[in-house]
Amino acid sequence: MAEQNATETVVISARDVDFFYGEFHALKGVSMDMLEHEVTAMIGPSGCGKSTFLKLLNRMNDFVPGARLAGDILIRGEPVYGPDSDPVDIRRKVGMVFQRPNPFPKSIYDNICYGPRLVGVRAKQELDALVEKALRAAALWDEVKDLLGKSAMDLSGGQQQRVCIARALALEPDILLMDEPTSALDPIATAKVEEWIKTSGLTIVIVTHNMQQAARISDRTAFFYMGSLVEFGKTRDLFTRPRETQTENYITGRFG
Amino acid sequence: MLAARRGFEPRRRRRREFTALLFIRLTGAFTAGVMALVVGFIAFNGAGAISVPFLTEYPRDAMTAGGILPAIEGTLILALGALLTAVPLGFGAAVYLAEYARPGPLVSVIRLGVLNLSGVPSVVFGLFGLALFVKTFGFGRSILAGSLTLGLLILPTVVAASEEALRQTPQSFREAALALGASRWQAIRQVVLPAALPGMLTGAILALGRAAGETAPIVFTASCAYTLASPGSVFQEVMALSTHILNLATNGTRIEETLPQQFGTALVLLALVLGLSLCAIIVRAKLRKGRRW
Amino acid sequence: MTLSPSVPADAPRGELLHPKLSPTEQGVRLFFLLCAVSALGQMLLITIFLFSEAAGLFLPAPGDRAVPLAEFFFSLDWFPTYPDSSFGSAALVIGSLAVTFASVLLAGPLGVGLAVYLACLAGPRMREFLKPAVELLAAIPSVILGFLGMVTLAPFMQGYLGLPTGLNVLNCAVFLAVMSTPTVASLGEDALSAVPQSVKDASYALGATRWETIWRVIIPASLSGLSTAVILGLGRAMGETVVVLMVAGGAAQIPHSLFDSVRPLTSTLAAEMGETAAGSPHYHALFALGMILFLLTLALNLAAFWLGRHFRKNS
Repeated sequence: MAEQNATETVVISARDVDFFYGEFHALKGVSMDMLEHEVTAMIGPSGCGKSTFLKLLNRMNDFVPGARLAGDILIRGEPVYGPDSDPVDIRRKVGMVFQRPNPFPKSIYDNICYGPRLVGVRAKQELDALVEKALRAAALWDEVKDLLGKSAMDLSGGQQQRVCIARALALEPDILLMDEPTSALDPIATAKVEEWIKTSGLTIVIVTHNMQQAARISDRTAFFYMGSLVEFGKTRDLFTRPRETQTENYITGRFG
Repeated sequence: MLAARRGFEPRRRRRREFTALLFIRLTGAFTAGVMALVVGFIAFNGAGAISVPFLTEYPRDAMTAGGILPAIEGTLILALGALLTAVPLGFGAAVYLAEYARPGPLVSVIRLGVLNLSGVPSVVFGLFGLALFVKTFGFGRSILAGSLTLGLLILPTVVAASEEALRQTPQSFREAALALGASRWQAIRQVVLPAALPGMLTGAILALGRAAGETAPIVFTASCAYTLASPGSVFQEVMALSTHILNLATNGTRIEETLPQQFGTALVLLALVLGLSLCAIIVRAKLRKGRRW
Repeated sequence: MTLSPSVPADAPRGELLHPKLSPTEQGVRLFFLLCAVSALGQMLLITIFLFSEAAGLFLPAPGDRAVPLAEFFFSLDWFPTYPDSSFGSAALVIGSLAVTFASVLLAGPLGVGLAVYLACLAGPRMREFLKPAVELLAAIPSVILGFLGMVTLAPFMQGYLGLPTGLNVLNCAVFLAVMSTPTVASLGEDALSAVPQSVKDASYALGATRWETIWRVIIPASLSGLSTAVILGLGRAMGETVVVLMVAGGAAQIPHSLFDSVRPLTSTLAAEMGETAAGSPHYHALFALGMILFLLTLALNLAAFWLGRHFRKNS
């Protein structure tokens, strides 16, 4: 955990965010700040809005028909939904890892080069270096360094998910969003990914369905319920001394 | 009451079960039998006519001798021309329907249009081709008019197969590409299309087989009874296998004498069409098995 | 925040999220849209050409006789090339309906039976063999089926049954059925396979046999899908041209038995279009026949589409 050297710089700031899918009010007045080098976990029952909120941060909800947004989301002071902001540009700076590993049906190497190639990196040497760096950062290099030409589809689930992490890291993102990244993985693979999250030093926002996981890996935790942010604070405090009854009910499993 | 019925119930039920299931199984055997009969009959009677000269020479002596080279050429040219017409449009329409379209009146109308297009009788396509390409555009009876007509005919097949192939590529591929900062088109071009392409091409091969076997659309847009040379331009008429059989069997003055030619031509056409379809079916099965998403 | 009482607190606010598309992206999207619309455009063009060419029969060029609608639709006399010509489509329409319905009497039970076999009875190996066979059967060019009708069933019927001609409704129906059975079977199988396993399990658990489950549960549950399949098979048979041209016999009359020959719409078109001068009354009359054929098949397709939607809604 990066708690000791947290610099208290706000990277992501949400102000009074309301979000609608058509008539459905998915997020209600959510305001929260996420700090640099910290792991922020978002927990809550399914349908509570945590994934929706995560996807707002890199504009992955743009394609949902009838999606409406009110309020502001700022990344390093820049509005994510400002008139001049470019969703493609934002997604290059804010990486994302999904619920199920979703490597492309290409080689490991080409998977990782996908992002850099999009921004125009063509030189073989440069790409080689980026691939190695990303795979090392995702703690996968030693396992796959001799298999780079192999299809990423041939790897195990845990390795696939780390290829996806490496693929996101190859763009050197400022922030990494993770949407239940271990829900499709077995316990051993989960442990590897969790270990990576704890030691990466990146600014990470992670949605998880698993409270123990949030407690293990995050610096701060946000509890969502029915579209509202019920409680947000240091993970240790939230799990040991929740301020809200709803939070307490949820983390103790007494939930109706 | 139930207890009283139980006495005779089992035997009657068993008999009915046996009869009904027997009928159903017979339909399966029947289909396989019809398939075997059709192919077997044509192959048995046509094999005698097949020879190297038959495949490489022009017809002679009022079609009673010689070969069917110009008909083979014509069929291949027309079918490929149809594919060239249908594939760009069909792939494009499929990409729109699978990747861009959002449910709405426009998309419903387009879908209904494509669906109905697939139900329009082939002879109506022939009429349409005659009115539009042959007469209005002034192409005359020609390769061009015939290819365009056949192309429109197979368009719904190409659209449906391509759209299905595109829909089978998982949403997660698109999400992953977009999340890495790809634009919509980049995601489609670099990730979705390469994954869907084998399936789309399989659909195109099936459509190619269909185009090669069609008769009615080319009778009055492209085909002639007899040519002496390979076509030199797309504005010339050609012979085709399907119309050649039709002509020999119904219009000829020496129907009995050309019978071996008819069987031989039928065998060539059947082999060509079933060969293409079989290739596509096998490739498709392999793709489905090999797919890991 | 105060809201007027008429607006619920949950009413959507904020701005619609629109993915901002770059000019390139918009161009690409437009290109694909045009491809899709062109498919629709063809449907419109076909309709327009058929109707405008057909209109020439009823609103002719100066010098030609205007054919009354009543004559075209109700007269049994199709004498397009006689000096005192008559353009009655009724015998041709009846011919089309006769061969189509006769063929569906064969293709319906056969196709549905095959669909049931594929969906409910056949083992995986059998399916792996039979499904491609059905697909290949559908791919056999119709000219080959017509040719087969001419060289097999026709001489057989003429020789053994002592008929004046073997080219008749029955021969035509048999080969149309060979052609449309695969359509019925593969669409029907899709419908039957869509019945959830849980429903079948419920039936077996109550002591039903396989056939009882098929007959009382699976078929009723997929009835609209099966009807769609049969209707589309009907449409395919009605639009088929070459089989009909080769084996229906070609006499423009009302058939009194399965052994009479008929001249359906499609074969009339194929046989006569090549010999007529563009712009002549005969030419326009053939387009008018095409229009009838188009409308008949369109009606069948729309019926199938409507039933299919109904079927999807209910399952």
